[in-house]
Amino acid sequence: MDFAYLTHILILVSIFGMLALSLNMLVGFTGLLSLAHAAFFGVGAYTIAIMLGMYHGNFFLALLLASVFAVVISTAIGLVFSRFRDDYYALATLGFNVILASFLLNAESITRGPLGIPGIPRPELFGISFGSNSSFLVLAFIFFLATYFCMKYIARTSFGRVLKAVREDEEALKVFGYRTHSYKLVIFSISAVIATVAGGLFASYISYVDPSTFTVNDSIFMLSMVIVGGLGSVRGSVLGAIILVIIPELLRFVGFSPDMAAQMRALFYGAVLVLLMMYRPQGLIGEYKL
Amino acid sequence: MEIFPQLIVNSLISTALYALIALPFGLLYNTNKFFDLSFGGVAIVAGYSVFYFAGVAQMPVIVAVLIAMAVAIGVALACYRGIYLPLRKRKAKNLVLLIATLGVSIVIEAVLAMLFTSRFQDPSRYLGEVKTFSVLGGTFTALHAWLFVGVIVIALLLYWFLSRTKFGKAVKAVADDEEVARTIGIPTRKVILLVVAIAAAIGALAGIASGFDTGLLPTLGLRLLLKGIIAAIIGGSNTVFGPLAGAAILGFAENMGIAVIPGEWKDAIAFGLLILFLIFRPKGLFKG
Repeated sequence: MDFAYLTHILILVSIFGMLALSLNMLVGFTGLLSLAHAAFFGVGAYTIAIMLGMYHGNFFLALLLASVFAVVISTAIGLVFSRFRDDYYALATLGFNVILASFLLNAESITRGPLGIPGIPRPELFGISFGSNSSFLVLAFIFFLATYFCMKYIARTSFGRVLKAVREDEEALKVFGYRTHSYKLVIFSISAVIATVAGGLFASYISYVDPSTFTVNDSIFMLSMVIVGGLGSVRGSVLGAIILVIIPELLRFVGFSPDMAAQMRALFYGAVLVLLMMYRPQGLIGEYKL
Repeated sequence: MEIFPQLIVNSLISTALYALIALPFGLLYNTNKFFDLSFGGVAIVAGYSVFYFAGVAQMPVIVAVLIAMAVAIGVALACYRGIYLPLRKRKAKNLVLLIATLGVSIVIEAVLAMLFTSRFQDPSRYLGEVKTFSVLGGTFTALHAWLFVGVIVIALLLYWFLSRTKFGKAVKAVADDEEVARTIGIPTRKVILLVVAIAAAIGALAGIASGFDTGLLPTLGLRLLLKGIIAAIIGGSNTVFGPLAGAAILGFAENMGIAVIPGEWKDAIAFGLLILFLIFRPKGLFKG
């Protein structure tokens, strides 16, 4: 395995690690099964793609703009969705993902529809270019570490403990006077912003976006990273991301065609979801059993 | 408005297809109390089975349809016995079951894509010549007519079955409270297995009809099911009538919406409707 390839894998692990960590804040900490993570990933990727690919703006400013979008959208739908629970929450977030994917596909004047947006440049800051893969890895890894410690920090604060209490018994918490809806809303926004930033990094790294990367199936894929690693476990999310990024690469090494490898990956993570639910609902190193 | 009659016909066709998946899904959900997201996979397995048995094995279409229904029932029962029943016995939470069914749905999709490629497949060529009718300016095919009549017959049969037979009463008892039903001597496990089989048989028809009508894709199962779930939630799944009404609302909203906004927004309309209903009428129009 050569160095360039390892760099590529590590960049993907950093980006998907951010996604897994931020989704774990929702699913693992708070017990909200969100199937809309790919939608926020898409909001970030498309904001970067449009701002950089079409209007040649600055990456970091565009990232800031994308985060603002994420906060606005997540607050708007969070206000509505916070009142749902369990499977209805899952269904409503899934509905949002379908609507957003449909927007990316059909609002051709903004997103170019199924053609996607090519030619997204790498970030630049104060004359430093992150054009090479190794410098981009540094950037992605910084964002990944920031997410990691942010999550560690949240887990330790009283805010994090309230989230876990929401997961265990929301009614009881309400009786004690906590406004659980606000807590759910805040964590939903934090998680959405991180997914959006991950999306921006992804678009800039791959240099091309199209709607097929932000569907419900991608949300399910992100969920399986969280579940494989372990709900509520910070290290677990990282482990889940590593496992699910590396497996399709291994399949390619064995010599399957890319399409076959994609199906094998789906088969693998589908089967893993079923087996984990049956025999180890807390995931590999998780603390919380669904 | 020249397209108006055609929009009505299209709405009715969508209504029939959505009802065909919403009815069995509602029955399943009402009895088992968890969202079975693998049900769309079961339906589309039947669609692909028809494609295989009528095409590759060159059987008559009607035989292929019957075999396909049997295959779907087999898959559904295997999943239930092998995965969902053990989970339910353990009193696993709904979310655990939901994720497990999601996993099964992905596995079915991947296996179908490996066997039949992830490209579009069209089983309708094995139907031969399909007649086209035109009534009051709206055009539809014989397949659509069959679909429409079939749904009405199936809904009536299901209604009769659930309200007039001993079995139907047992299903209602299980739906009300499985524990109590078991205590008073109803063989709950057998009842549920039978419900799973009946639901799979009806769902199979939805998968087959959808395959004949618009062709097959491995991802079509989940998409079809989501429409069914929306219809079942809009109408309420306690009765046979609920999913039918839900399917009609969804079918008309989607197709009439096209008159105002472009057709690619169908999915957005459907899920917008779902979210509206989840907010204002989470138990559906008819609480039953």
